[in-house]
Amino acid sequence: MTLTRRRFLTGAAALGAAAFGAVACTSPTTANPGRITLWYTSNGLSDAVLGEAVKRFAADKLTPSQVSGELKQRLLAALAGEAYLPDITMLGDDIATYFADTDHFVDLNSLGAGSVRDEYLPWKWQAGTSPAGFQLGFPVDVGPAALYYRHDLFTQAGLPGEPDEVAAAVSTWDDYFTFSGQVQKKLPGRYMITDTKTVFTYSLAQEPHKYFDRDNHYLDDQSQVRRAWDRAVQAFRMGLTAGYAGSQSVNGQSIDRHAAWNSGKELSFVNASWITGELKESAPGTSGKWRVCRPPGGAGNQGGSFLAITKYCPDPHAAFEIVKWLQSPQNQPRTFLDLGLFPPSPSAYTDPRLQAPEPFFGGQVTMDVFSKIAREVKPVYFSPWDITISDTYTDELTNVESAGKDPEDAWRDARASVERLLRRQGVLS
Amino acid sequence: MTAILPAETAGASRAPVRHTAHGRRKRWRYLPQYLAVAPFFVLFAIFGAYPVLYSLYLALQRWDGVGPMKFVGLENFAFLLSDTTFWDSIGNTLIIWVMSTVPMTAFALLIAAGLNSSVRYKGLLRVAYFLPNVTSIVAMSLVFGSIFSDEFGILNWFLGLFGIGNVDWLSDPWAIRGAISIMIIWRWTGYNAIIFLAGLQALPPDVFEAARIDGAGPVQTFFRITLPLLRPVLLFSVVMSAINGLQIFTESQVLLGNRGGPGGAGMTMVLYFYNTAFADNDFGYGAAIAWGIFVVVVLFSILNWRLVMRPERGQVQTKGAGR
Repeated sequence: MTLTRRRFLTGAAALGAAAFGAVACTSPTTANPGRITLWYTSNGLSDAVLGEAVKRFAADKLTPSQVSGELKQRLLAALAGEAYLPDITMLGDDIATYFADTDHFVDLNSLGAGSVRDEYLPWKWQAGTSPAGFQLGFPVDVGPAALYYRHDLFTQAGLPGEPDEVAAAVSTWDDYFTFSGQVQKKLPGRYMITDTKTVFTYSLAQEPHKYFDRDNHYLDDQSQVRRAWDRAVQAFRMGLTAGYAGSQSVNGQSIDRHAAWNSGKELSFVNASWITGELKESAPGTSGKWRVCRPPGGAGNQGGSFLAITKYCPDPHAAFEIVKWLQSPQNQPRTFLDLGLFPPSPSAYTDPRLQAPEPFFGGQVTMDVFSKIAREVKPVYFSPWDITISDTYTDELTNVESAGKDPEDAWRDARASVERLLRRQGVLS
Repeated sequence: MTAILPAETAGASRAPVRHTAHGRRKRWRYLPQYLAVAPFFVLFAIFGAYPVLYSLYLALQRWDGVGPMKFVGLENFAFLLSDTTFWDSIGNTLIIWVMSTVPMTAFALLIAAGLNSSVRYKGLLRVAYFLPNVTSIVAMSLVFGSIFSDEFGILNWFLGLFGIGNVDWLSDPWAIRGAISIMIIWRWTGYNAIIFLAGLQALPPDVFEAARIDGAGPVQTFFRITLPLLRPVLLFSVVMSAINGLQIFTESQVLLGNRGGPGGAGMTMVLYFYNTAFADNDFGYGAAIAWGIFVVVVLFSILNWRLVMRPERGQVQTKGAGR
């Protein structure tokens, strides 16, 4: 057979196609075949603990990989393509987004998660369980909310200053608003409440129901939402909010908030425990002047993440051993001291390192306050749409607070947007 | 005629065979050329055409990014038409575009005219004016975040020196649009100034000389001679800024977050698309928004096309009349 140019080219093309096909077929399912890859967000897991895990699980070739940017988007892309997937991945408090698609993951119960279940806060454990009973998430951290306040300014103004006294003065939201009014009379130009958004968010976080039941049915009774809304509007009407609206997403306004912490303009605020790191970092001059106490209205949680194992992991048992060790009650205090991620295991709360007096809080043992709240949090179902719905309500609250929109109009608009959104998503018919 | 016809058909019966064989050889002969242009088309097919077609397919589905897709037909588009947020985002984009383009063009013209006259350190100044354009937008937005900060921002402090009260740059709807526009102006003025400068330097000097002899002052020369002659360059700059302006995203997102800030005043079209698809995980509707943006861009391009074409027709006519 003579090699004509045409034959040569056909052959070359066939070879090329074959090579292309081979490449396409061998794109690996997991990110590092033969290794156990763990995706985590920046500041989502302690690097010190991870470093020790790498040595400890050398046989499994644990490869922690910090995902820059949005972990979720990378995970969705990898899941859609079923390639370059992590063996273990972190999931945020929107874990319910994955409950309908648990076939991509391993049920931790099948790996013996039940044996360590009792070591964790029951409500946190339940938050990682799908309505069908599939254990998707392993607890990483929780976010019990407390009232942070300026002890020095309170006592200077002749107000109750000790945590128990302040907690008694603000035991309900109404008490909190009345007390804030009194404080503002004595300390004009200063605020007790960050914005309407925090009132809404933390008031709703204390309710046993949010927007959906565990079967993803939109609740007929949304009175808890209205209650949180009314409280937020009331705080605004009484002139108690500093109006750093949206302070968590808008970096310009968090600059304002940081400045208000430093200047003492923000006298107190309700927030989950994870704000402590930011507070220490951006207002170092106020060290020793802050205290925390039980928040108005009772215990609530905001935020917190999980670890999950994908079904593409060739050795899920080994992966589970790693997860279990990383988040063991013995390691949680280290993560807390390192990054301020609040432990999900009650047994960690009595760790001597976490029971030490904290100079930033004037020698107060804040763990006592937070741990009590963490234990009292009610289990609540967080649906896949909760974040978007909450954002819709708080957007409208911001319109009330900063653009002078009529609260009733804002409420109607928020309700209408939420229902439109759910209709579009096929949740409401 | 009749004598020729049969001969032709006879020839035609044999001709096709030879013709195709010849054609095939001809086609193979051009293979290297086809191969040479192939990389672009292969890459375009994978990274350009496929995503475009796939987004059209996605726009007909309901999909959260993980689970199975659900076909919903034109529902997403029907929803888009009645979606006030989408219409608001078009409005915001156009408002920000106008608020940024008009002052930017004026500033750029002034700077170009200044650079064109004999000043010292011309090269250094040109580089300095161009620098904002190559600065990372994210870094820039962080800096502007502290500048525009409502209570403790540098800008409000500076305005305070002149007795001007605090402007809520990041909470008032119009101030938000102003803040984003200022960032765009800062970023693109230098770029356009350099383009205008190139245009100015290409203008024939004899026209200006004639104007001077006729006794025109500098202001008169600028408005009567320079500006009309610079028209093609100005149009280019407006078209370019329209292309960029319709895609405003990073400034809003970094300064105000995914939801466009208070009142959604900074919610631009692309930001709304991003927020829907990648923050709310609604990829089907996100794709529908993307096609909505496409339609707006097409309409705008037609508008631009007419703007650009008209003066050329005018020029041809005047040229014809001159002869």
